[in-house]
Amino acid sequence: MTLDELKSRLDETSYVYDENMLTTLFVALTLGRPLLIEGAAGVGKTEVAKVMAHALGRDLVRLQCYEGLDESKALYEWNYQKQLLAIQVDQGREDKQELTKSLFSDAYLLERPLLKSIRSEQPVVLLIDEIDKADEEFEAFLLELLSETQVTIPEIGTIRAKTTPFVILTSNRARPLSEALRRRCAYMHIDYPDMDKELAILRKKLPHVDDRLAAQVALAVQKLRATEAILKKPSIAETLDWTAALDALGIAELTPEAIRKTAGFVLKNNEDLLTLAEEQQEHCGACQGHCHG
Amino acid sequence: MADTEVYLEKLSAFARILRMEGLSVSPRDTEDAAAILTRLGFEDRETVKTALMTVYAKSREEQLKFSSAFDGFFLSEEAIRAQARQRAEQERQRQEQMEQAGEELEQIGERVRLDERERQSYRELPQEARQKLQDFLNRYKGNVDRSPQLYSEFIHSVFAKTMMEQQMLLENAGVGAEELDPELGLLCRDIGAFRDTEIPKAIALIQNVARQINGELSAKRRGQGSSGKLDFRRTIRGSLSSGGSLHRLYFRKPRTRKRKLVILCDVSGSMVQFSEFALRFIQSLNQVAESSRTFLFSETIVEADPFQLQNMDRFRDTVRASGIYGRGTDLGLALRHLCDTRPPVLNQNTTLLILSDTKTVDTARALLWLQEAKRQSGKLLWLNPIPERNWKYIKSVGAVQSIVPMIPCSTLGELAAACRRL
Repeated sequence: MTLDELKSRLDETSYVYDENMLTTLFVALTLGRPLLIEGAAGVGKTEVAKVMAHALGRDLVRLQCYEGLDESKALYEWNYQKQLLAIQVDQGREDKQELTKSLFSDAYLLERPLLKSIRSEQPVVLLIDEIDKADEEFEAFLLELLSETQVTIPEIGTIRAKTTPFVILTSNRARPLSEALRRRCAYMHIDYPDMDKELAILRKKLPHVDDRLAAQVALAVQKLRATEAILKKPSIAETLDWTAALDALGIAELTPEAIRKTAGFVLKNNEDLLTLAEEQQEHCGACQGHCHG
Repeated sequence: MADTEVYLEKLSAFARILRMEGLSVSPRDTEDAAAILTRLGFEDRETVKTALMTVYAKSREEQLKFSSAFDGFFLSEEAIRAQARQRAEQERQRQEQMEQAGEELEQIGERVRLDERERQSYRELPQEARQKLQDFLNRYKGNVDRSPQLYSEFIHSVFAKTMMEQQMLLENAGVGAEELDPELGLLCRDIGAFRDTEIPKAIALIQNVARQINGELSAKRRGQGSSGKLDFRRTIRGSLSSGGSLHRLYFRKPRTRKRKLVILCDVSGSMVQFSEFALRFIQSLNQVAESSRTFLFSETIVEADPFQLQNMDRFRDTVRASGIYGRGTDLGLALRHLCDTRPPVLNQNTTLLILSDTKTVDTARALLWLQEAKRQSGKLLWLNPIPERNWKYIKSVGAVQSIVPMIPCSTLGELAAACRRL
């Protein structure tokens, strides 16, 4: 696939990207390297994987990481109930070795996302989401998969990938990832979108919303993100929710009153809502009610 | 294939530069970079930059280093021309300046006795600085003429001081980093030199770094001691899915007990900004200690209310209300209070953390009580906001260092490193 082909396929999706992101995705895809995406929560890291799956016409296999995640949840698990049942049924069988061998075969193997992604007949996009939430042991366990696209199951041996998945790892930088993991990945950092990009996203995702309102929302969100006192910066999804809520209420202009009514869609904790209210009060005090948000 | 080899040669040289910048670059990275360049070509500089950055840079910090290394290595045609023009212009200006400075030196040479090294430094001074010195010399012209012996030494010292100041300006650390990334700039600048407008940014940065340290410490704790005693409950429960066969054993992780932290915080005049930032850091680190008590001291000592410390935005108000703000420092008295308080504040399970610049009245008494505090507490650490390079000039620092391990904390970066050691 060439850079232009990838560009035209991405254009078919509703994802707003820039040239740098396009080049990075192309490089990772061409080299077959896993892509590590870092950035604040809500900047659209997970969305990249979904969009790539759509653009490449592949299935998306997702592994959501959390503290305590181990290989039985991520790679494989033996179907113990089925194995016990088989032992009960074949109790009278003479060839015990054959029975033991059959118990550790594909028929009793429960595939989890990682195994599924490398045993798939068609190449898939594998999303390992929020890798920073998983333990360091799990990170180390991933190394074999990421560098050799193979995994080792003690009872079976090494399973090599039938097809090479396009692996995307995301991290919110809650903890630093190991050098070994970083070394095996291509890297991309996503920032919050600037005003133009935010507006482009709104236009693409909510085409029916009035352009003036979209511009006002985009500007307001930019200001909220730039305010140091706001603890949880609004994500892109929250911008979209807020705009949709304003649109659903039939609001055409982002007035202080409209912001007050719908602020809960963009700010999700009480301290931030109080900060917004204080700022609005100061602002309105300064312009003596002549403003429109 | 010839193309790939050409790329490989250039990229190998580039990889060496990246390694010198501190990036970990493997031969495979260079192979991949060459492979990708054969596909993309060199037509679009930005595309090449992004492609190579994807391969070589593995974190945001590395991306910044990569960016400046790339701009220095792969100069665009425009940049090469502009650089050549700029160099020619700079050389011309330098020549002019040297000639002008030479003429000035001829005029002032008799009045100020400058040796050859000082003459060279004078020639390299910017125009404004030279003008300032000329004005100064003209202002004192009459006095110098009347009493040359009396004034010549004074005039000479002013010249030497100005030239030294110019050199120190050049050595100002952290300025380059700030241009590259304001966040990194704040991390490596002296805490005391923050402007008021930078304080909110610094606070946000502290929260960000503290979050990372919490993550690191939590991961470290989880990693420690993988197997302890057998966890019967989890093992039995786990075996239910396999009809009671104990196919997997679960182990308890041995509990690592966190220490109790006692913070002795100097809030006398110059220390208050550092103490505020340090406390913000420590308060944000929920992985460091099981519990903490904070004592504020200057000439007297008070224990800070933990509820008030939760709102660090009001820290200065709290300090002012306590009546100890803006006074001198008596470390001996503060330590004596800590050691003598009953029920005891310090014991073998406490880490005593002292935030101070070591400047105190009655150093001998302070050192005596410092030894007693060291005996009573399990661990004692000193965070010093004075840059480490200046420690050798301050007697009290040397004396304290002989008793307590001292960690330099003049910048937020150093403060973060210190918190990792707690």
